[in-house]
Formats: sequence, structure tokens, C-alpha cells
Amino acid sequence: MTPNAASISSGPSRRSFLASTAVATAAVAGGMPLLTACGGSDSGSREGATSGKAADKLIPTYVASKTAAKPDLPSKNGSTAGYTSKVDLAKLVTSVPDKLGTGAPFKIMSPFWGSPPKPGCAYYTALDAAAGTKITWQNQDGITYGEKLGAVLASSSIPDMVVVPSWELVGKIASAVTAKFMDLGPYLAGDKVKKYPNLAAIPSDAWRMSIFGGALRGIPMPAAPVPGIAPFYRKDIFDKKGYTVPKSPDEFLSWAKEATSSKAKVWACGDMRWSAAGFFGVLPAGSLGWNIGDDGKLTYRIEHPEYLEHLEWVRKLFDAGVVHPDDKANTGNASQRFTAGQILVYNDNTASWYGLTAEQAKANPDFEIEGMDYFGADGGDPTLYANPPANIWSMIRKGASKETIENALAAANFAAAPYGTKERMFVDYGVEGTHYTVKDGVPVKNDKGNQEVVNAWPMLAAPAPYTAHPDLPEIARKQVEWQQRQGAFVKKTSTFGMNIVEPARYATLSSQFEQLEIDFVRGHKKLSDVQQAISTWKSSGGDKLRDWYKKLLDKNGSGN
Amino acid sequence: MSLTAGSRPDGTRPPAAVEEPTAAVATAAAKDQVPRRTGKAGKKGKAGKVPWRVRLRRDRTLILMTLPVIALLLLFNYVPLLGNVVAFQEYDPYASSNGITAIFHSPWVGVEQFSRMFDDPLFWSATKNTIVLFVLQLVLFFPVPIVLALVINSVIRPRVRAVAQAIMYLPHFFSWVLVVTVFQQILGGAGIIAQTLEKHGWSGFDLMTDADLFKYLVIGQAVWKDAGWGIIVFLAALSAVSTDLYEAAAMDGAGRWRRMWHVTLPALRPVIALLLVLRVGDALSVGFEQFLLQRWAVGAGASEVLDTYVWNVGIQNGDFSYAAAVGLIKGVIGVCLVLGANKVAHLLGEQGVYKK
Repeated sequence: MTPNAASISSGPSRRSFLASTAVATAAVAGGMPLLTACGGSDSGSREGATSGKAADKLIPTYVASKTAAKPDLPSKNGSTAGYTSKVDLAKLVTSVPDKLGTGAPFKIMSPFWGSPPKPGCAYYTALDAAAGTKITWQNQDGITYGEKLGAVLASSSIPDMVVVPSWELVGKIASAVTAKFMDLGPYLAGDKVKKYPNLAAIPSDAWRMSIFGGALRGIPMPAAPVPGIAPFYRKDIFDKKGYTVPKSPDEFLSWAKEATSSKAKVWACGDMRWSAAGFFGVLPAGSLGWNIGDDGKLTYRIEHPEYLEHLEWVRKLFDAGVVHPDDKANTGNASQRFTAGQILVYNDNTASWYGLTAEQAKANPDFEIEGMDYFGADGGDPTLYANPPANIWSMIRKGASKETIENALAAANFAAAPYGTKERMFVDYGVEGTHYTVKDGVPVKNDKGNQEVVNAWPMLAAPAPYTAHPDLPEIARKQVEWQQRQGAFVKKTSTFGMNIVEPARYATLSSQFEQLEIDFVRGHKKLSDVQQAISTWKSSGGDKLRDWYKKLLDKNGSGN
Repeated sequence: MSLTAGSRPDGTRPPAAVEEPTAAVATAAAKDQVPRRTGKAGKKGKAGKVPWRVRLRRDRTLILMTLPVIALLLLFNYVPLLGNVVAFQEYDPYASSNGITAIFHSPWVGVEQFSRMFDDPLFWSATKNTIVLFVLQLVLFFPVPIVLALVINSVIRPRVRAVAQAIMYLPHFFSWVLVVTVFQQILGGAGIIAQTLEKHGWSGFDLMTDADLFKYLVIGQAVWKDAGWGIIVFLAALSAVSTDLYEAAAMDGAGRWRRMWHVTLPALRPVIALLLVLRVGDALSVGFEQFLLQRWAVGAGASEVLDTYVWNVGIQNGDFSYAAAVGLIKGVIGVCLVLGANKVAHLLGEQGVYKK
């Protein structure tokens, strides 16, 4: 009776979904970290947040990268920077001229999606040689990483450096971060960061999100605030059937009824809850869900009428029978049903844009997908909310020696090399000839590359968000343009950019809502059950939590 | 032994075939105890026949051989029991340098975690589901392996028997993920049955997401997966029945059914009673992965059982103390059920799991 990995992965909760998108992100070379986690709403011995001027003292000085290639599509409306033209591989620049590592051995624990390569494989040795480090990788299954992380943090032997994803910061793990990891301020705050130019080029928003318990404890993987989840549709099938892309929730429903033909084994869509949240302008989950409205009142996402409206709309889809039965039963893999044409629309991380296209390129040359533009509940402009600027951190344990810390920072600095540098190429593709070959100026990973050059190094840190797919530049262009179009409607909530640790007594207050949403849209719970849960939430701590947030925002200032 | 005497269905006297081996075991055990008792007495008072040291030397190989197992048993089954103490705390595994010393740094809250259960509707919903499923499993699942064993036993040709057994055993080796997937492919809304019905004009068949029928669905899955495996122990019991009894019964004119009723079933009775006691003791564990995997399909309201509840509260939400309290209560109820069921077995004249 052990909770096995498969059982968890097959239940794509928000948490495991985010983890799965990290696979896509980390697996796609040059993909950007576009994780849309719900921020760690959690307990902690040191609750609260640090922002504003207090935070500015703690974070490193921003120094724009001198080595990053000039993007073809510069960041606009909070989008990632896009690279669509070929980068001359012979003229890559060096961002880390001197080896900053001293070669003192240290250990890193990191989530790994897939089967990790052997210790001492060509990729790890080559990267160590280039960065001057000697890392022992402790790769752990990414799907059950939270369980492992919780246990390791409760042990007395914590690895020197640990990768901590925000979606694992549930229950008491957030307080552990403050208790177990060191303040990196003495090494990075202010101008000290200039020793590590690639870390200095990480945007300040991301660094602010790395403050835990009043100190800088994380090296962030920055993320763009634009939506990370897109309602994807099969453009090839839409064109063939002559469907027009829906422009409102009502149009979507009537299109879905037309497109569904269970006899032909075609259903319109999968579970559209995440897209619906965008259509109806629902606030994000977690601490980002707290916002001061135009009326000056501080409210949480579930208190707004839009929250119920978006769930009711998704329920309409389920009731109309336009959702694939396997999505209703939550078995199998929705993206496989999408590529097989059994569903025509589904929501997924934008990294899948490249992932699915690359995967289908050979088997199905006609395969073409597009991200649907978000529309508002009435068919007008949508209201979207900004994602947190960082979702994954690497952290160094308290009590690590000075030399270990410097080696760990050297590794992070190497991993954060911007696009267009030799180091980036190294981290994403490994060694030429061993892990990839160059065809028509485009690097292509071989089997060994696909096996070894996965996760690990890219998890340590990342440069400012960018999008580049050298083999499919067109996808990078579409993706960035989509981000820019959606970005125009993105608003920041009052809690944006703050790493907030909620008091422990409220840790499980909102934990039942995701299950309730899942059950309600599938018809297993009534609307009154959801309403009941909302009023219970208020009376059993929600209102007190509101007071707590109010004080916090009064003290720190609003994030928007 | 006359047929009438040995075949009273009320079972005050078990048939000889079963009685004999048990009696033999009992006498062997009794014999074994004799020197031990005298040895003990000898140590205390006058010199016994076999002194304690001599026995130690004589049995040292055996003792050595069991030591590792005893050590493992202590380490993994008994030492962790001490961890239940967190049920009386507000345990924070990160309160100290490691999770074990953190127990000493976590605040005591007395029985607060236990009183939380009374006000927790999710806990009661999980308990209700667990009990309903247990009763259904007992009624619908438990008899199936017995019937299957009788069927297999009545097959004479060894080849047919082996093939049938193999086919019935195999699903046991499937993981629950696979079982649920197979069921989805057959009974789901896009499955074989739904597609076939669709072709004939009936639409909307989807057994896998029906919350009301879920309890029967899980029994069906359990039967498909594990009923074949369950027959092994019954077949073993059946093979111990002396063929003399069948011959004697046949000589006295008993037909097929009467032979089953008067010879076979009484032979199975002690095994059935034993398994029943064990099952009742384990009543609050009705399965885990099977329910976790189908949680979305039918909703937590229908699929939450105590084990998944503990997992969600403890592992997913990190509320270790409350999860430990729920687990502790579950354990205590389990012990009470075993004792009760065993008592009932004794009253019915069966051996049960243990004897006083």
C-alpha cells in the first residue's frame, strides 16, 4: 500500500501539472521557465514577506548582461524575449571567462523527470570541467520530489545545494526553507553579485521572490508574468473542418457541441478549468489570489462571482458531453488525445507549443497547433493576472563552508548564462560531437544528448526569460507574439512580487478547493457545496487571514 | 467414522480429516513445551534435566538465525510505533536539526488532534465510505475465491486445471494503474461498450464516472484482479482432504452435492474462519491506490476512504499530527475488531487466529 509515483502522476492536480510542465521546460533546450505555480501558500515559523525598500537592500544590484544575444523580438507586455534567427554557433561569446569554481566537491539535490544518467557521465564531467566545479548530483524523481524534499529537510544530512520548486512549498516545508537554508546576502546582496555577472543579470523581480524569512535564500529561475497556460487548438483540423476560433465562452460552447462526435471518437476539449479562469478573470490561487479591488476592499479569489461563474461554465461543457470521457475520468494523457485528434482543444503549458510540434513533426507533418487568444466572459477583452516572477530556486544549506558556497554560486552563475553564449550552449546541449551535431547551423541532440542533457544544470538558475527554438524558429515567433498579445491584458494583484509565507494555522484552509473544483465541474458536487465551502472558509479562518494580509500589505505596500 | 456423525452441518464436531492434523500439531506443541517448563523450573530450584545454558547452546544456531529477523522486526515494526506520539503534538518536522529530535521540540496539544476528528465532515465521509466498502467487500468479494476454489477443485483434468488457474492468477500481477486503465478502455465513456452502444443508437454509457455505482465498480475490479489469487489458500486446504472421505461418502451413496456439503465445505471451515477474522481485523483498510487513482473520476465524496484521507492530510498537506491521530484511531479500532472477531470464532467452535 505505498503511494506509488504513477498514482500521483495520473492525478494531474495543479501541483503535479506544474511539475510536468517543468519537465517540458527543462527538457526543451532553450525553452523558458514558464511555470505558473500558485505561489507557496504555506506555514512558517517566520511568516510574512519582505518587499519594497526593505527588500531592495537584500537583493543583488541588477547589471544587464553584456553577453546576451540581441533578441529578434524584444520583450513587450511582459513577454519573454524571442530569438527567431539563427545564432552563429562559431561566434558564441563567453560569459564566464574565468573558472569561478575551485573544484572542491559538493552535492546537489535536484528534481529529475525521466531516468537520470549515470554519475560521472560525459555531460556532468564536461560541465564540471568548464565551470571548475566538482558536483555530485543527487537526482530525485520529480513527480514525488515533494515527499523526498520533506524527508531530506527533516534529516540531519541536507545536501549542500538543493533545488526547491515553489509548488512543493506546502504544509510545513516553507518554514523549513527559512530554518535550513542560509542567507546568501553576504555573497550576493548589492554590488557583491558583480563577481557573478550572469546572476547579476537576473531581473530584480525574480530576486525579490527569493526572499524567505527576511533574507535572500534562493537563486531564482526567473519567469515571465504573462500567462503560462494556453488554450491550444488543432489549427490543422480547424482549417480542414472550416471551424472559426471561438471568441467568447458562449461561442466556445456552441462550437464544442458542433465539433463533438462521440461516434467518430472526437470530443471538443479536455478539462478547460485553467483556461476558464483566464476567460472569466479569476484571480490566481495561493497568495497571489489576494487583491485590493477598485472599491478598496481586500478579497480572495474564491469570494468573487467570477470564481463560481468560471466553474459553472466548465460544468456546462461537461454536462453537454463535449469533454472527452477519459478526461472526465482523468485517465491516460490529455496531450496524447490532443495529438491523436480525439480532442481538439486543451489547455497546457506554453512550452508544449514547441514540445508537441517537435514530437509530431515526423509522424504527422500536417500537425499544427495554435494558442487561442484569451477572451473575456462577454466576448470582450479578458482580464488576466500576472504570474510570480520566479518559481524554482536553488538554495544552499546552512553551515556550508565558504568554499562550498562559492563553488555553488559558480555553478549557478554558469547555468544562468544568457542565450548566445558558449555556456548556454554547453548547459542546454552538452558537448558537440558527443551530445549533439550541427545540421545547417542548427544544433540537434543525438541519443546520448537526449539521455544525458536533461534537467540537472538548467535547474540551478536561469537568465531573464527568453524563448528560442533553433530548429523551429517559427514556433518561437508565434509563442512570443501570443505572449505579447495576452500580456496587454495582464494585471498585477496587490500581492504580486512578494514571497509571502502565511501563518501555519491557515496552511490547510484552502487545501480542499482544488478537489472541490474538480468534483463540481464533473457533476459530483452541487453549486451549494461550493458556496457552503466558501462561507466555511470565511468563518474558519478566511476572514482572519484577510486581516493578516491587510496588515502585511499596509506594512509592505501593495505589489501592483 | 460414520457419515452421519462426521457430517453434522452445525459443525459441533469437525470431520476427522481436519481434526487429525490439528490434533497432531497440538500434541507436538505440547510435547515441545514440556522440557521448556521443566527447564525453567530447574533454573529456579533444583537442577533440571536440561539447564538453561545447555538449551541455549543446543539452540544457538537457530537463535542466531532468527536474530536478524528479530532486529529488523524491532527496528521497522516496533520502533516506529513510538512515532505515534506526534498524534498528541502539533508536530513540526523542521523544528529542530532533524525530524526525530523535532519531536522533542514540538508543542504538546493533548487530545486536540483527536477532538478535531469529531468536527471534520471529510473524516466522517471517509469513514462512512470505508465501512460501506468493507461490508460490500465482505458480502460480494469474500465468497468469490471460495466458490472459484470449489470449481477448480472439481475439475479433474490437470491440464485444464493448470490453465484455468494461471488465467485466474495473472491479473493479480497487474498494477492498479493498469487495471483502472483496462476498465476505462472497456467501461469508460470512450470505451468498447460505449462505442458499440453508440453504433446502435444508445449514447451516454459511462460506468467509470458514475459516483453511485462506484462502490460496485471497485468490487468488480477487485474481483477481477485478486479473486483468482485468493483461491490459492483454499485449494491448499482442499488438497489436505483425504480422498478416503470422498470414497467413503460415495460408498454410502452421497452424490456430488452432498459430498461438497458434507466433506469439502467442512474441511474449508477453519480456513474460512481464519481469513474472515483477519479480514475483519483489517476492515478499515479497503484499498489505497485503487481509490486514489479514481478520485477524479467519481469525486472525493465517493472515493475517499480512511487510507487516502490519511495520505492526503499527512503527506499532501503536511498535517502530520492530525494524520497520525487518525491513523492511531484506525489502528485501535482494528485491534478491537480482531479481538472481537476472534472471540466470535471461538464461540462458534473455531480456532480463529490464536488461542488463549
